[in-house]
Amino acid sequence: MGMVMDDVVRKRALTVRSNKLRPSPRKQGPTAEVHSELTSRVRGNERSSAHLLRLMAWLSPSFPVGAFSYSSGIEWAVEAGDICDAATLKDWLSVMLTNGGGFCDGVLFAHAHRASLNDDDKTLRDIAELAAAFAPSKERHLETTAQGNAFVEAARAGWPCPALDRLKSVWIGPVAYPVAVAVTAAGHGIAADEALPAYLHALAANWVSAGVRLIPLGQTQGLHVLAGLETAIIDTAERASAASLDDIGSSAFRADLASARHETQYTRLFRS
Amino acid sequence: MFVTQTSQSQTFLANRATGHIGLSVVAADGVTRRAQVHEHGSLRARFPNTHDGALEVVIVNTGGGMTGGDRFTVDMAVGEGGSLVAGTTAAEKIYRSTGPAAELNVTLKVGAGGKLAWLPQETILFDRAKLLRRIDIDLAGNATLIMVEAVVFGRAAMGEAIADGSFLDHWRVRRDGGLIYADTAKLDGDIAGQLGRRAVAEGGIAMATVLLTPGGASELERVRAIGENFTGEVGISAWNGVAVARLIAKDGATLRHDIIALLAGLGTAVPRLWLQ
Repeated sequence: MGMVMDDVVRKRALTVRSNKLRPSPRKQGPTAEVHSELTSRVRGNERSSAHLLRLMAWLSPSFPVGAFSYSSGIEWAVEAGDICDAATLKDWLSVMLTNGGGFCDGVLFAHAHRASLNDDDKTLRDIAELAAAFAPSKERHLETTAQGNAFVEAARAGWPCPALDRLKSVWIGPVAYPVAVAVTAAGHGIAADEALPAYLHALAANWVSAGVRLIPLGQTQGLHVLAGLETAIIDTAERASAASLDDIGSSAFRADLASARHETQYTRLFRS
Repeated sequence: MFVTQTSQSQTFLANRATGHIGLSVVAADGVTRRAQVHEHGSLRARFPNTHDGALEVVIVNTGGGMTGGDRFTVDMAVGEGGSLVAGTTAAEKIYRSTGPAAELNVTLKVGAGGKLAWLPQETILFDRAKLLRRIDIDLAGNATLIMVEAVVFGRAAMGEAIADGSFLDHWRVRRDGGLIYADTAKLDGDIAGQLGRRAVAEGGIAMATVLLTPGGASELERVRAIGENFTGEVGISAWNGVAVARLIAKDGATLRHDIIALLAGLGTAVPRLWLQ
């Protein structure tokens, strides 16, 4: 069921996927299939460029969702001494990515993207509701809903699409950040296997940036941490895409606890 | 070959325990009474006398624990204005499973003006245990819920850690149909190894979630005011009309201590069986 749906999504969303997942046309010999493949690749290149530009714009730190003001509890973890250098930052973030908020966001993203592409209003509404309720603390709830709502407004201003209007018509509550980005990507025909790794990368990059400012770390050390998380980002995107909504779950218990304890931190730079 | 597999799986299924408790209580003239009690399989419901005459149900697992393939279901409904405290006789032990997970499905409904305290003792996972638990709660109007669920990974007193296992704990809380809280705790594989990581539990093997709704600023203040009473780590937060405290401790005894302190801070006593 999941596989079938995936195939439909991929076909509708994108004609050309990354080369590593596609058999090389050369190996198949000069057939009609190759010709159509090459033609679509030329068209696909323009389309991929547009997709890339949009993902870069939407997930840039300057996109007006205020990402810089949230640390997902990292500010408390630094205060408490759990994160004190590049190694402890990387370990903390890899848990958040693979088994914490990153993975949960990824599953919500993949399902929201699929529901939006399939015009499945009932499922989209249920996912939007689950995403808005699935937070371990007040500040993590604020973080995902404030960024999500801001993202929807900004995307509707700059890149309006019927998918976003449809989301607003089926769900009147606060929009969680992964749902906002997923529906926008789907509405512009950007496949989940392009958009989801980009989303998780933006999340990780924002966490690293918070860590660099708070610990503090040198810029180079921060870059090492971000580069070192690439495998985890790709792996998490793949696992999240294959996961059912029942697979969503977290084991980043102390990271969740940190976001609750951050509420009473005396001096704070971040809203979460 | 086919026949052998079939007969093995049939033998396996025939040996799995099932259990069900269906309980509904109603209030009349300020007193809550049992309306319906249904018991099946290894689960029993007992109603001990309490100091103040409040209705309390104690769930008994006559099998003494759960293992792979066991399926237990608990459904409780508190009628409008009713009040019920639910607990268990003992910690629930989840034994090793070589096949499927033990499944526990809990459905709790509380009518307007009603109050439910769901305070089972901790669940203890043995090495290679697999547990899949779902807790679905429906509240109406201004219904009050306080609930605790605690889990201990491995029998630390016996030097046991969980080298392999799985744990999925799925909570969904709705009020008047709208989802107000959703959380799933999930650990798979080398659970002891994962618990050792700082962002997971930093070596703690016991944890609990305490949820109160309606819950807000006053619950936060009360818990934060007794912060020095806790031995393990405790954090509390409130949003969407729900207050959620998370506790992480190095072992089961520390966790129990902290849960009792936290509930006392909130003005709730644990059922007497917790203290025996």
